[in-house]
Amino acid sequence: MQEYDLLLMSLVIFVPSLFAFGLLFFPRGYEEAMRWWTLAGTALTLGLSLCAFISFKATTLDNLTGRPADIRTRAQLEYRAAEADRLADRKGGPEQRTDKQNDDWVARRPWIEPFNIDYYLGTDGISMALVVMTTVLSFLAMIASWNITKFVRGYCILFLVLETGMLGVFLSLDFFLFFIFWEVMLLPMYFLIGVWGGPRREYAAIKFFLYTLLGGVFMLIVILAFYFTDIRDFKKDKPPDEQNLSKEAKERWYEPWSAEGTPKEAVHTFDLVLLAHVGREASKIIDSRDDSVLVRARKALAEEKDSNKQQILKEKIDRLTTKWGFFTSEFQIATFLLLFIGFAIKLPMVPFHTWLPDAHVEAPTPISMILAGVLLKMGGYGIIRIAWPICPWAAKELAWYVALFGIISMVYGAFTAMAQTDFKKLVAYSSVSHMGYVLLGVAVWPTENNQFWSWGMNGAMFQMIGHGVTSAGMFFLVGVIYDRAHHRNLNNFRGLYEPMPLYAGISAVIFFAAMGLPGMCGFVGEFMVVLATWNFSKAFAILAALTVILTAGYVLWTVQRVFLGTNPAYKGYRDIDLRELSCAIPLVVFSILLGVLPGLLLSWMEPSVTGLVDTLYRLTASAK
Amino acid sequence: MLDFASKPGLLFVVATLLPLASFVLILVAFAIRTALRSSPEGSIGQQLYQASGGDVPSRWPAWLATAAIGLAFVCSATGFVWFLDDHKQIESLEEEARHGKASDRELAHEKLKELEAHWVGSIDWVRLGASDDPRQGLALQLGFRIDHLSAIMFLMVTLVATLIHLFSLGYMAEEKQLHVEDHQVHGEEGHYRRRGRFGRFFLFLSLFCFSMLNLVLADNLFQVFVSWELVGICSYLLIGFYFERSSASNAANKAFITNRIGDAGFVIGLMIVWTYFGTFNFQELFSRVRAPVQDSHGEKLDLAAQIVRGNVTGEGKGKKIIFDPQGPEVLLFPRQRGHFHAEWITPGGDQDVRDDPKERQFGHMPYWLLVAAGLGIFLGCVGKSAQFPLHVWLPDAMEGPTPVSALIHAATMVAAGVYLVGRCFPLFTAEVLLVIAYTGGITLFVAATIAVVMRDIKRVLAYSTVSQLGYMMLALGVGGWVAGLFHLLTHAFFKALLFLGSGAVIYGCHHEQDLLKMGGLYPKMKITALTMLMAVLAISGIPGFSGWYSKDVIVAQAMGFASVHPEHVLLFLLPLVTAGLTTFYMFRMWLLAFAGEPRDHHVYEHAHEAPGIMTGPLVVLAVFSVGVAWGWPFFSSAFPFIDSESSWLEHQLHHAQPDAVQASFGLNKAEWEAARDGRLSGQYFGKPPIGPELAELEKQKKERYWAEEYSHLAGNLALGVVIIGLVFAFALYYYRVLDPAEGEAQFPGIARFLTHKWYFDELYSALIVQPALLVSDWCKNIDTRCIDWLIDNSAAITVRVAEKDGRFDNRVIDGMVNLFATVAYGVGNWFRRWQTGYLRSYVLFLVLAAVGIFVILSYFINATG
Repeated sequence: MQEYDLLLMSLVIFVPSLFAFGLLFFPRGYEEAMRWWTLAGTALTLGLSLCAFISFKATTLDNLTGRPADIRTRAQLEYRAAEADRLADRKGGPEQRTDKQNDDWVARRPWIEPFNIDYYLGTDGISMALVVMTTVLSFLAMIASWNITKFVRGYCILFLVLETGMLGVFLSLDFFLFFIFWEVMLLPMYFLIGVWGGPRREYAAIKFFLYTLLGGVFMLIVILAFYFTDIRDFKKDKPPDEQNLSKEAKERWYEPWSAEGTPKEAVHTFDLVLLAHVGREASKIIDSRDDSVLVRARKALAEEKDSNKQQILKEKIDRLTTKWGFFTSEFQIATFLLLFIGFAIKLPMVPFHTWLPDAHVEAPTPISMILAGVLLKMGGYGIIRIAWPICPWAAKELAWYVALFGIISMVYGAFTAMAQTDFKKLVAYSSVSHMGYVLLGVAVWPTENNQFWSWGMNGAMFQMIGHGVTSAGMFFLVGVIYDRAHHRNLNNFRGLYEPMPLYAGISAVIFFAAMGLPGMCGFVGEFMVVLATWNFSKAFAILAALTVILTAGYVLWTVQRVFLGTNPAYKGYRDIDLRELSCAIPLVVFSILLGVLPGLLLSWMEPSVTGLVDTLYRLTASAK
Repeated sequence: MLDFASKPGLLFVVATLLPLASFVLILVAFAIRTALRSSPEGSIGQQLYQASGGDVPSRWPAWLATAAIGLAFVCSATGFVWFLDDHKQIESLEEEARHGKASDRELAHEKLKELEAHWVGSIDWVRLGASDDPRQGLALQLGFRIDHLSAIMFLMVTLVATLIHLFSLGYMAEEKQLHVEDHQVHGEEGHYRRRGRFGRFFLFLSLFCFSMLNLVLADNLFQVFVSWELVGICSYLLIGFYFERSSASNAANKAFITNRIGDAGFVIGLMIVWTYFGTFNFQELFSRVRAPVQDSHGEKLDLAAQIVRGNVTGEGKGKKIIFDPQGPEVLLFPRQRGHFHAEWITPGGDQDVRDDPKERQFGHMPYWLLVAAGLGIFLGCVGKSAQFPLHVWLPDAMEGPTPVSALIHAATMVAAGVYLVGRCFPLFTAEVLLVIAYTGGITLFVAATIAVVMRDIKRVLAYSTVSQLGYMMLALGVGGWVAGLFHLLTHAFFKALLFLGSGAVIYGCHHEQDLLKMGGLYPKMKITALTMLMAVLAISGIPGFSGWYSKDVIVAQAMGFASVHPEHVLLFLLPLVTAGLTTFYMFRMWLLAFAGEPRDHHVYEHAHEAPGIMTGPLVVLAVFSVGVAWGWPFFSSAFPFIDSESSWLEHQLHHAQPDAVQASFGLNKAEWEAARDGRLSGQYFGKPPIGPELAELEKQKKERYWAEEYSHLAGNLALGVVIIGLVFAFALYYYRVLDPAEGEAQFPGIARFLTHKWYFDELYSALIVQPALLVSDWCKNIDTRCIDWLIDNSAAITVRVAEKDGRFDNRVIDGMVNLFATVAYGVGNWFRRWQTGYLRSYVLFLVLAAVGIFVILSYFINATG
């Protein structure tokens, strides 16, 4: 079969949509059947994503002979993408991909050819972790959706379309495709909050929509700005007589600084992998490093005798030195800021976070789970996959500020959480605080010794997954008690342990996991990030360490106000039931399993993350 | 799978994991049963639930937990004997390796390696690859390393825990009922009734035992930190065991959050250590920060086991550190030590260093950061061991069931702070040690003064615990490494006994804890009274009892320290005076409870002795409280009751003492004399010193030497103070020569100050809790009043602009449209739609803005590109 990785990734993305389409054919009144159908759809997607995961792990990491360093290389999307392109080019274009490319987990088909837009999918440890998390949480959220009774068909369709959007974001490697999925995810979410939400749902939905749209618009600007950059020096024509060329000549041909092979027409692209490559070259040019394209092109010009080639080189140098062009620091910083703010809104980072508490409070329980568990991670994913690799120079320059905002989010979120009386709002603010760790971990760009940065970045990724488990769990648990008490006021609960011991026990596990208790998933990410921070900034490190006190404060205070003490009013409450258990138990298992054996996740995620860190660090390390 | 013959250290690992297994089993069973409980009436689930015992609390968890910890004790005892045996072999092999024939040496070295490998092991928990070689890189590890200290700690913890498990079987018996009345909580009709929680108690106890043993087992700081948090959460869960009481849940929160303050310091310490050393393994840390004791030829270094400071000069590869005792940088020794000579590290010399040292290169770090790391780790210990200023949580922790107070808040967990200070001793600089000493000194005095006025029997004991932990910290700070840890061990037994005794009293008096309502209980509960008397005598430091051995060494060490540093004489006076206070408040407690006339007849009449399952552990603990510190065999010393240095336990601890203690506080008397005579064939001096070496040796007469020199004087002084305390206690509370109430009336200020516990709670509430709540309120207001205000208003403005725009449409454009009449009518209609949904107009603005920026950008790009 040709490229089963393409097939599998596409299925993972579009199976939910197919099931959504199928819902249209259900006769009116068969709500229960629709729910089961939707659940089947999410279950199938989960199964497919697990197949993809197992196969990805086996083909890119496990079955490799050779040095561990090779695994690290192979774990890099960029390496595999380049290999795939080379292989495909030899066969005569992306359509001619063969079964040899089944195991590289990058797949490309032309889509809108006039604009060089490809249907370009790919995965590595970073996105695979998030994909599996998304399918698991979607499945669990669908279980939690059973008590939605309003417009079930509409709900299920939107839910499934939302899942397609989320998975598409994590799997696409074409910026345009990425943007499409990003926006596809936005609308269902708007309606899910706005129609199925609480009393202030319209306000919350519009707030969410506008905030995210603003981020999307920023991203769109950057996409266009990138697209209108002429990158013909980095995507060269093939040599006419490839076989006859000597090895040196062939290598020289593909070097971006050489005159040979430079296309006559401008080349534009949405290819994220290619853009990351160009972004790194831009960083070298801005730092005026000896190995930058600009310096080498100038050198080549000085040595060049042929006047035609001289002309090509001159034009090339002009392109690389254009005022306000891609290869200038101003452009890098501007695009980075736009991208970063776009993603930071999603993360959310203080001060762009106020949509989150409102959206969470108004959204129905399963949607809160998805929102906190998956949507927030897109912000982090965007930063790691797009903002950092494509604008590394600006990222490095602004890393300190990013870390600062991470710290502010951590501390501010924790303090604000402490002051809340609405259970759901408290959990929402705890998300703000926890996602601050992600920013901090990503941003600890070192001046020397990148080992610590690798701990920070891996910690940030682990924190995203860990937070996906705990925050979804916490929102679910709040939903369970809301179904019974019909209010969320923390000061009116008390004493829920006695009527609902199992619920209280599960809550204790999830809340302690969120608090960062060792042996649970919240601890690993936080601890790794914190360990990485001292090397970057002592003040930040101390603030990060002090945050653990605040976290303990609001978590324990919440547990006390909800579960401890006595309250005769709630004596008759039934404990958590089988459906609710089937949603909560997997989350409990994950929060313990990941905490006790973080290697289960890190062993295959780490090569990709550390590889990324190495690639970026190499840009700045030897620049000195 | 478990090959004990080649790795007997695994016995201790098994001992650690047994309680964990018990915890997991009980937890899973509970979860399943609780899930079944909520299944509907008549269903299979409900039937299964009823068949497995229904609502009646099951007893098997208690037996399982007790069996697990008992078995753990057996494992550790076996391991300990094995370890002692191995150690004997190691010692003789070391002798051989040093002095034997060349061929034997090789063999001895090999044998040594094999024997040492018996007691260490580790696995990676998280390892992230390095950039050049993914197999390398930094790792968080889990591992074990058994030495005399951890082996003895294992014995102590498992033994005390086993006894307390047994005691709890009796003490928690009322939790076996279907319904328990909580007299301190009031429900709708009278007392609050709830289901019994017998199993739950043992569930948490098992988790605690695992965490505590794991803490002792750990060969690295990370594992210690993990266990540190886990024992913290167990403490939280057990303090809050009666969570219906708001006092209990508040105390639980207070305990955990106060501990987290300490833990934040701990984390800072960990970060510094991680950044500069890249490892948490104790042995690796110590060997990097302290100079080796001897070189490859067995010759002693002048700077043996010292922290080497100096000034760093040069750049890059020419970087050098020039040794200077006051320098701002610390030399870090290579991770792997190759062949090297003593001359390489000499006072006044220098050494090449690197910023990012490879395996065999030297590194350096700022001295103040090493101090900060030490202080950070110590702050963690301050929290856990309830030292001033974080001592406030421990007295409140008495809300938990009494066996918990005995196990966690007296014998084991709170001692973990002291244990960790002992473990990390080589990391601590002189400044840190002084801070430790003063923290201990202040704590022991403050807590003792409060204990004098407490009325609640458990609170007296709680403050006494705080005070005793202060003694241990002080001892470690002034160089009494063995003294501090020795006291930890003896204290564990007599304090556990005291708490269990108080538990028996509380049990016998039907949950009465007020000392002033007791009195004259001796005839009613003789075993309890007598065993507690043993503990009281031990803690007071009456000669012959275990406490006397350890406390005497501490006071002597403090005296030795004060004699070298007269400016720190307070560090000697505080423990000396407090020895008297200790005797006073302990006898006050005993006399108030057991002696004299009954003060509350209701309590007296219903009082009864505890059942055998409770008094049994009391008796065993009493035996240990009296004799755990004795010499062994008992008559090996001519005067076992007078010679406080004959203790077998103390001698065992000596083996584990790090070399850093000698480096910082000199040799003790025996070591010094042996060195002078050249008798000591150990690693320090091979031949009798002569000339300058002798003068050098004279300088080694430091704190530890003088401590022994003065030990009899210090012991006699302490005994005198103890007798004074004893006399006062009997005068006030037995013979009633003086009336305590009168004393309080005479000094109302002091009395109020002490009963309010020096106003620490009020101070912290005003300084920390209230400000934190205030700030959190501010943050909440910033969110709703500032950020959302901005957002909402800008939205409103946009809407208004859109309306204006709409009106513009209406008047101007529609006016024109009218001119164009019918054709434009449809267009006008279309435009009117803009006014209705403001969301869409907002979107329009955004898109327009996007297009605008895009046009500008593309202009710039195209203009030049």
